[in-house]
Amino acid sequence: MSEVVEPKSAETKSLGEKLLSIPKPALYLALILATAVPLFFPVPLPNEPKDTAKALFAAINEIPDESTVIIQSDWTESTRGESRGQMDILLRMLMRKNVKFAICSAADPQAPEVFRNLVFKLNAERKELKLREYKKWDDWVELGFYPSAEALGQAIAADIRGAFAGKRDAPPGGDDRPVFESPVLKDIVKVDDLSMYLVVTGTKSIIIAIERFSDKVKMGGMVTGVMGPETANYFYSGQLKGLSAGLKGVYDMCSLEEVAHPGTTKLKREEQYILSLHVAIFLLIAAVIVGNVGVFLTRRSKP
Amino acid sequence: MFDIIAQTAPRVNFWSAEPGSPKLWGGIFIAIVIGVAFIFACLNLPTNYRRPLIATLTFIAGLFFVMSFVWPKSEGRAPDTLPNGGVEAVAWWLQDATGPISNITTILTAFLLGLGAFSMLRVHIGKLVKQQKDWGFSVVLLLSMATMMFIGYWDWRTVSFTMKDTNFSDPSNWVTATYAKDLVFDGILQKMDAAMFSVIAFYIMSAAYRAFRIRSVEATVLLVSALIVMMSLLALGDMMSNKLIGNFTGGAKDHFMENFTLSEIYGFIRAAFQTPSIRAIDFGIGVGAMAMGLRLWLSLDKTGGTN
Amino acid sequence: MSYEDFQKIKIFCGVIATIGLYTVLYKENKFYRFFEHMFLGLAGGWMLVTLWTESLKEAWWDAMMGRVSDAGTPVVESNGNYIWALLLPIGIMGYFVVSKKHAWMSRVPIGIIIGLWSGQQFSAWLKKYGPQLQASMSPIAPTNVESFFRPVPTDAADLVEIAKFTYPSQAIVNLVALITLLSVLSYFLFSIDFKSKAMLGMTKLGRYLLMIGFGAIFGSTVMMRFSLLIDRMYFIFIEFVKQTLFGLT
Repeated sequence: MSEVVEPKSAETKSLGEKLLSIPKPALYLALILATAVPLFFPVPLPNEPKDTAKALFAAINEIPDESTVIIQSDWTESTRGESRGQMDILLRMLMRKNVKFAICSAADPQAPEVFRNLVFKLNAERKELKLREYKKWDDWVELGFYPSAEALGQAIAADIRGAFAGKRDAPPGGDDRPVFESPVLKDIVKVDDLSMYLVVTGTKSIIIAIERFSDKVKMGGMVTGVMGPETANYFYSGQLKGLSAGLKGVYDMCSLEEVAHPGTTKLKREEQYILSLHVAIFLLIAAVIVGNVGVFLTRRSKP
Repeated sequence: MFDIIAQTAPRVNFWSAEPGSPKLWGGIFIAIVIGVAFIFACLNLPTNYRRPLIATLTFIAGLFFVMSFVWPKSEGRAPDTLPNGGVEAVAWWLQDATGPISNITTILTAFLLGLGAFSMLRVHIGKLVKQQKDWGFSVVLLLSMATMMFIGYWDWRTVSFTMKDTNFSDPSNWVTATYAKDLVFDGILQKMDAAMFSVIAFYIMSAAYRAFRIRSVEATVLLVSALIVMMSLLALGDMMSNKLIGNFTGGAKDHFMENFTLSEIYGFIRAAFQTPSIRAIDFGIGVGAMAMGLRLWLSLDKTGGTN
Repeated sequence: MSYEDFQKIKIFCGVIATIGLYTVLYKENKFYRFFEHMFLGLAGGWMLVTLWTESLKEAWWDAMMGRVSDAGTPVVESNGNYIWALLLPIGIMGYFVVSKKHAWMSRVPIGIIIGLWSGQQFSAWLKKYGPQLQASMSPIAPTNVESFFRPVPTDAADLVEIAKFTYPSQAIVNLVALITLLSVLSYFLFSIDFKSKAMLGMTKLGRYLLMIGFGAIFGSTVMMRFSLLIDRMYFIFIEFVKQTLFGLT
């Protein structure tokens, strides 16, 4: 027969029981405050970038100016907290070096439009700063959405021209033409001709790309925190030339870029995010400690 | 015959025809008739032939990439040259056919993804017609879906066809369709997508407080490892440990104690435990995936295609 | 209405939708379910748009029908390959899954896709795990014993010189890494009933070491989920309240 436990009033509860009975809404409210309040008080925190991010930063900087890379954009705003910052800093670096890019997506049908919106925002910012607009067709082209990442990877590895045969794009207000006629891809005959293949993803699609053609082209990855530990293995085995994982990865890349080229990043937003992350993590650690102390005290007080 | 798959543009062959030509329309008609005949044949196929049919199709599909893997590769292929013998001819064909074969996967996957939307429509239209409990929410779903499809295609048609000479990268040129698409996609759908995924943070917080207990050696190891990873990824944790160790070393980088900063400890855990343990998990998954690939390709599973 | 005003309306709609979904934290309610169904409907609708505009239009339709340039004089840009039409009935067979009697027919397109996937596994496996296996085989004996720890490099040339050697501390790390790899593999792969005490110990050690890997993944996952929440808080409190409502920068 199950034991019926009478709910105790706050006065009769032991300290251990009190520690174990923090209501859920209080926890949620504490988390909201921990993540929201620091956003209003951005404080720059000292940062020592990880070796993975340093390698990615170096690899991107080694891309020859005005050459071509492919970016596989497999994220939507579901991972905006990390992936938007990743793509943002990547595009800023490529635009600074006038590197041309072709963009494809292989995980989520929403990804191509999300990418377009980001380029649109970056171009609006460049316009305000009196910088050259990054023009569709001349500077970047779209290669579309592929529901099967495996098929895309296999085709790219075998024959990049065959993989994107039939793909068309157009300059703003112009007629569409095959993408391989564009200044971006006209000299690309095989995957080895790319300066780099970069994957910004909120999924595991980077692994599929690695297992298809990491032996043919330099690859760099920008992944979410969840994928960080697993993807890091491919960096340490040399299959990835660099890796930026999670918000820390974004902050690392922004910090490195800001040191090398001051004023080119949106570091302020990342500073706000990283401060909030500190507070939230400390709150989580405190919650774990409180829970465990509560259990310990409750067990000890039991006869 | 090989041209049926390897259709490197702009080659003209038996399987292709000029756009809009009677040959093309005739070919499309015949292909669809053959496909429909195949469907009817399948509808009447005896049960004991079903499994061999699926197994054969799966095997043939898989054989292409197995052949691509094992067949000798041809290096230094120059344009407008002929293959040197049968082996090289097959190697070239395999290379040319990879794009179209991958395209088949893309197309079939796209058709099957539509199945998800079809199932959703089926369920919610059924709910609406039968006026089942909460059918009002089904109306919301169906209306949202219809709205998004209408706006999505309206915008695509406007940008790609009816107003394709307009530069939409300049917001001053935006029209109703572009505004509508931006509102429903970026303004609503994307924000809800982000909100849906972020809700999990609250549950993690609650679960960490209620369930993350030091009850066993395994749980303790997991907790300590998680804490070190989190602390090492936080700039403040790194800074505090560097300061603390710096007090002992006086800033000498080659001091013995420099090996005990948080980032060094994490570096050790990563190199000695984290990377190899995740790699071992990955190897395990890899062996499983390979075995599964073989089982599926050769249809060695007992179930499938029999009922 | 100006573009700036439109942006404000857009943000307002986004905030309402976000709060609507967050109400589930209190309890499952009708407000939440309204937005949940709206989300599913919009996502499904967008998928059906994108599958055509970003994938099927060019990959299937244009390949099948060919293309004629519509800039000025019509010129044939590519011929149509009518064989692609065959994929339509095959794709439709996938929809037979809803029929109780003929559900097996849906396995025709699925079988083709699975066949194509499984055929790729051999080359994918080698490319994925070859370098991984190689990276796991690091030296476990030191090649330089002048210093226990790897010296701190003074410049880039020194770094290259130091990298040529394995110092005792590195050899120990490599040995521990090898033990971790083998013990986790033995725990993970050999799920049979062991009699040998050594193997039992190995799998037990593997279980503990596996927890370190899981701990790292857990730590990273927590940080990711918090990052997503922080981004939503930024959207609500900074982009909406501070910048849109109060017009502050």
